[in-house]
Formats: sequence, structure tokens, C-alpha cells
Amino acid sequence: MAKVGIPRALLYYLYYPAWKAFFEKLGAEVVVSSPTNKTILNSGVSRAVADTCLPVKIFFGHVMSMIGECDYIFAPAVTSLGNEAYNCSKIIGLPNMTRALIPECPIILDPEINLEKGRYHFYQSIYKLGRYFTHNPFRIKKAVEEAWENNLAYQSVMFDEGLTPVEAIDRMYQGKQQPDSSVASAPSLTIAVIGHPYVIYDEYLSHRLIHRLQSMGVKILTPEMAPEKALYDAARKLVGIPHWSFETDIIGAGEYYLEKKVDGVINLSVFGCGPDSMMVTFVQHRARELNAPFLHLSLDEHTSDGGLLTRLEAFLDMIKWRERICV
Amino acid sequence: MRIGIPHLGNAYIMVRAMAARLGAVNGEGLVIPPPMTKKTLDLGVKYSPTEACLPYKLTLGSLIEACELGADTLIQARGTGICRLGYYAKGQEQMLHDLGYDAHFLTLDISHHKFLNMLRLIRSVANGNRARTPLHEIISAFFFGIGKVIALDKIEKVAQKIRAIELEKGAANLVYKEAVKAIDDVFDSKNVKRITKEYIGKLNKLPHNPKADPVKVAIVGEIYVVIEPFANMDIEMELGKLGVEVERTLTLSRWIKYSLFLNYLGISEWREVHKLAEPYLDHDVGGDGWESVGEKVLCARKGYDGVIHLAPFTCMPEIVAQNIMASTKEDIPVLAVACDEQMGREGMLTRVEAFVDLLEFRRRKRDGRKVFSVG
Ligand code: SF4
Repeated sequence: MAKVGIPRALLYYLYYPAWKAFFEKLGAEVVVSSPTNKTILNSGVSRAVADTCLPVKIFFGHVMSMIGECDYIFAPAVTSLGNEAYNCSKIIGLPNMTRALIPECPIILDPEINLEKGRYHFYQSIYKLGRYFTHNPFRIKKAVEEAWENNLAYQSVMFDEGLTPVEAIDRMYQGKQQPDSSVASAPSLTIAVIGHPYVIYDEYLSHRLIHRLQSMGVKILTPEMAPEKALYDAARKLVGIPHWSFETDIIGAGEYYLEKKVDGVINLSVFGCGPDSMMVTFVQHRARELNAPFLHLSLDEHTSDGGLLTRLEAFLDMIKWRERICV
Repeated sequence: MRIGIPHLGNAYIMVRAMAARLGAVNGEGLVIPPPMTKKTLDLGVKYSPTEACLPYKLTLGSLIEACELGADTLIQARGTGICRLGYYAKGQEQMLHDLGYDAHFLTLDISHHKFLNMLRLIRSVANGNRARTPLHEIISAFFFGIGKVIALDKIEKVAQKIRAIELEKGAANLVYKEAVKAIDDVFDSKNVKRITKEYIGKLNKLPHNPKADPVKVAIVGEIYVVIEPFANMDIEMELGKLGVEVERTLTLSRWIKYSLFLNYLGISEWREVHKLAEPYLDHDVGGDGWESVGEKVLCARKGYDGVIHLAPFTCMPEIVAQNIMASTKEDIPVLAVACDEQMGREGMLTRVEAFVDLLEFRRRKRDGRKVFSVG
């Protein structure tokens, strides 16, 4: 059976259930690389040019960690999901960069997903992808339907139960029940964490930020836990028609949760992220207008646990102190 | 209404020419900010998001300087899509308001319908100054402005050649600077033509070594930092001083010629370049990334000695290009220069000199000449 490797990085966090369903329906076996660790990070860093952002370097590391373990690597170029909004260049050029930097990589499956080019183009790319596994167009169609259903299920698990992508994936494939934290101790603060899913949910990259906050008794809200439509509307309010699809969720969530009057907003981004460097300013500006606590954390290779923790604690203290003054 | 524009190479000359034709003169209907200096950069850096790219910071600095001189309507480019340009105007407008300037932006959409957008923009500017300007006047102003840019680029091309082989270093630059001023100062097409001829003649007459075969380098990369000398620390002139002939495809006039006219006829200036890039990158990644990859291949085929790849620090499309360019099989050295406010002149010069040494070394090796010269 053909083995398809999916790197646990970048868009994995958004579409893994859909991809898995698609390939399995076509009779392939899906393997996922292990969670990010030091070796993965270092091997990615060793290949890419220095100015590349961390998540992309990590992606390369994941690809390298799977060499020899699979026949194909799945690295789609997700250019646009419609609405005249595009993704970051590095997402669009991902398969090409991978091929250039990791010549020893297994065959790269690199469909171009660009809904701006119309439905026909989309069907064609998917069909071309499916042809690696079957020549039967109906099987491919079935696989797409299966993928779509899984995607919906995944989204509703996250949304209905307030789970993060990682928790939702665990739930769907391992039947793991999340410890119900709300019973243990009622959270004292509610904080929205906004950022790219591949940054905030990658435990190695994010220094387990979410867990740390949770263990400090904070209830976490993330973009995935808000309705998509609301995010879009909120983003529109902030910047007009959004040009970047992922940023729509991030700044939309910023605006949405600010309006909901959460206790604070934390933006977790990485050094050198182009889209974030522009968009987060708008949320920050808005937070200032509303006089709401806002913390911008920018991660790079040299961020230390200690430094991050200090800033988090200071931020939480500031919020608590403000609230005491208000009552 | 007082129009302000940010600097981008010689674009201000075009704008000034158009405005003059439409009845706005510098200081009244039009504010051209002072040439960019360290102060412009400092202002831009101070008031931009830390991680914004250099073109954002420089244009913001330049616009602040225009506002200081009383501009209230600012022109800025906008694009839909992949790179940060889509949000320049939005972010800068917010910042200027926070700084207390009551300026509003007219954006020029450079992703679709560029020609119409340009005309529309000029018309709204013209009507702001004088009610209902007839269309033919607008069009003639438009072409007059474009004519100046074309003339300047023609002169510059000659200067790039002469710079490398002139006997008295810096002479061509002086002539070129004079030419820029002269073109800026005349307001009819006949004179523009005459001046162009005159200065091209002057450049060619500068004492130079016609038999010299200088090292040839192409400059590719992101359009703003390639075209605006302040953003790339005058890298072309520095190369000229080192006796290197520079060529670059990206010029204002070429952009105008294709984007505003020929693209409408289905003629793309990049078709060949995109084709050459195809084995490595087969689709657009925003900005000028795709073109950079293709141009490297093209330069190798054309027998250039090297490529200098200019990009703003953290520019996403160019990072994609850089990651890919390093491993293409065409054998031509590429020097990647990331432009930002931290770039020091000394550091840049050292790298450029080392690169030029490398190119000369390769040449000697190729020609089978003695590789190590004594003394
Ligand atoms: S959006 Fe930011 S973090 Fe993601 S690939 Fe682009 S630059 Fe990197």
C-alpha cells in the first residue's frame, strides 16, 4: 500500500482530517510526522535561507524527518480559497521550496488549490492528485466527498465543544476524552489567543503557551472556536475586504473577542511573518481604542521558556490588577 | 486639495509633469516631499510596525514629510493579493491620523484594470483642482508624464554602461543627475526629446575605455528596492565604481509600458521569464518572486557574470524565490541582499566587493587566464 506522509506542520492543523480521509479512501496509508522537536527544528533551519519564518523551516524539518518512511509527501500549494483572498507567498510556494531545498525528498504531491482560478481548475488539480492512486474518477469523487464530510465534522467538534485542533484530532482518532477543566476549578480569566494555528498549537514552537495559560487557571478562546461568518464580518469591520485568508481568522478573532469583552487578547506570532506584521497592528490599535489588554509575543529560534513565562505572568498580573481597581 | 506622493525613483518627475499640465504647481496643488534622507527613514521606522517591510517604512516616512509640507490627499499604490502592499494605505492612513494629520488616501489599484484606474486617479486629482477637466487634457497630461519617465530610463541605460568603463569615476553620475534635473525642468515634449539626445550624447562622449569588457551583473528582485536608489543604498552606482556593468529589467517605464498598455493586448513582459522559471516554480507567489527565479535562469543563459537579488528584509515572495534560486542548476552566482533599516553601508559594500572579486575570479578561470595574479 502506498504511504502518504503528511508533515505535522502548517496547514496540517487546518485540514488534517480531510486529507487523511481523502487518501485513505483512495486506498493509501497515511503517516504523520511526530510532533515538532529540536531535531526537526534544527534540520529545517539548516536547509532554509535564514530569513525564512520559523513555521516554514519547521515544515521542512518535518519533511526531512519522514524521508524513508513514506512514498509520497503531501505538500499542497494552497493559493486561494476564493473571495479574492490569498495565502501567504510561502504557503503558495511551499512544494517548490521543498523540492528545491530537500532534493532527497520522496515524490511530492503538490496540487495547486486556487479557487480564484475557478471550479474547473480545482477539480482538475484534485483529479490529478487522485490519479496517483486510482484511475477511477468516481472513486476520486467519493474520496473528495468523504474528505469534505470529515472536514465539517472536524470543524463542528472544535466549534461545538470549544476544542483546539489538536484536541479535536485526538478526539476524532483516538477517542481521547479531554479532562474537563471547567469542573476542577472555575477559570478566573478568559483570554483570547490569536495567531496562526500552526504557531499556537505547535507545542514546541509555542512553548506550550496554551497549556501554561490553562494551568494558570485561564480559559482560552481561539479563532477556531468562533463562527466563521462572525470572524469574516469582524475582519471586514477592521480592515475592509480582507486579502489574506488566514489573517481573516486571526484579526477577525481579535476584533470578535475584543467586542465580546474578554479579559485580554494575546497575539502569538513568529518573527519574520509578513502578514502578521501588518495585520496585528490593526488589532492592537483597536485594543488601544477599547482600552483592552493586548499582548504581542513574537517567537523566534532564540525565544526561551523563561522569558516567555515572565511576560505572560506580567500580563496576567496586569489584567488582574486592573480588574481589582475597577471593582 | 494638495496632493502628496511618496518617493519611488523618478516617479515624482512624472507626477510633477502631469500635475503641471493640469494646472497644479509644486507647493500649491502638489506637494513633492524632499528627497529621501536618513530623516525619512527614521520617521518611517518610528511610526511603522517593527516588522513591516522597508518599502512600507520608506513610503510612510516620505508621506509624513509630504504632510508636514501641507499635503492633504495622498497617493499610494494598492494591490489585491499576496503581498503586504494590499494593506499599505490602510495602515499608513491610520498612523497618519494618529499623528494628527487629516489626510486621506487615493489608492491606485495596480492589480486589475491598471490603465483605467490610473486615468480615474488622474481625473479625480485634476477635478479636485479645477472643476471638470476635459478628458483629452487628462490623456495628454498622462502621456506627457510617461514620456519623461521613458526618456529618463533611456538616459539611465546609457549611464549604466558608461559608469563601468569611464576613466574618471563618477563623471557619468554627474551627467545623469544633471539630465534628471533638466528633464524635470522642461514642460513640452520637444524639449524632452532634445534633452534626452543631448545627454545621451554627453554620456557617450565621456572619456572611457571602449575596449574594456567589464563584469556584467543583473539586478533583480522586489520592484521598490530595485528602483529606488535610497532603498538599496545606491548599489548600482557602487557597482559602477567597481567597474561593473549593471543591467536591470525592472524600470518604471517598462512597468508602465506593459502594465498599462501591452498587458491589455495579452502581451506579457514576463512570459519568457516565467517559462524559464517553470522547472522550479510554476506559479505566481505574489510580488516579484516568480520573476526573480526566472530572471536568474535568463541571466545565466544570456551569459551574465552574476546576479544581485535585492529584497526587503522578510519580503515573503522574495524569500520563496531565494529558497528556490539557491539550488537551480544554472551556474551563476547570486548575491542576496536584504534591505532594511539595519543594513549598514559598510557591510553592504564589503559584501558587494567580495562578490565582484568572485565574479572576476570566475571570469579569469573561464578564460583560462592565470587565476592568481602576482603583485
Ligand atoms: S503567514 Fe507568516 S508564519 Fe505563515 S508562512 Fe507566511 S510568513 Fe510564515
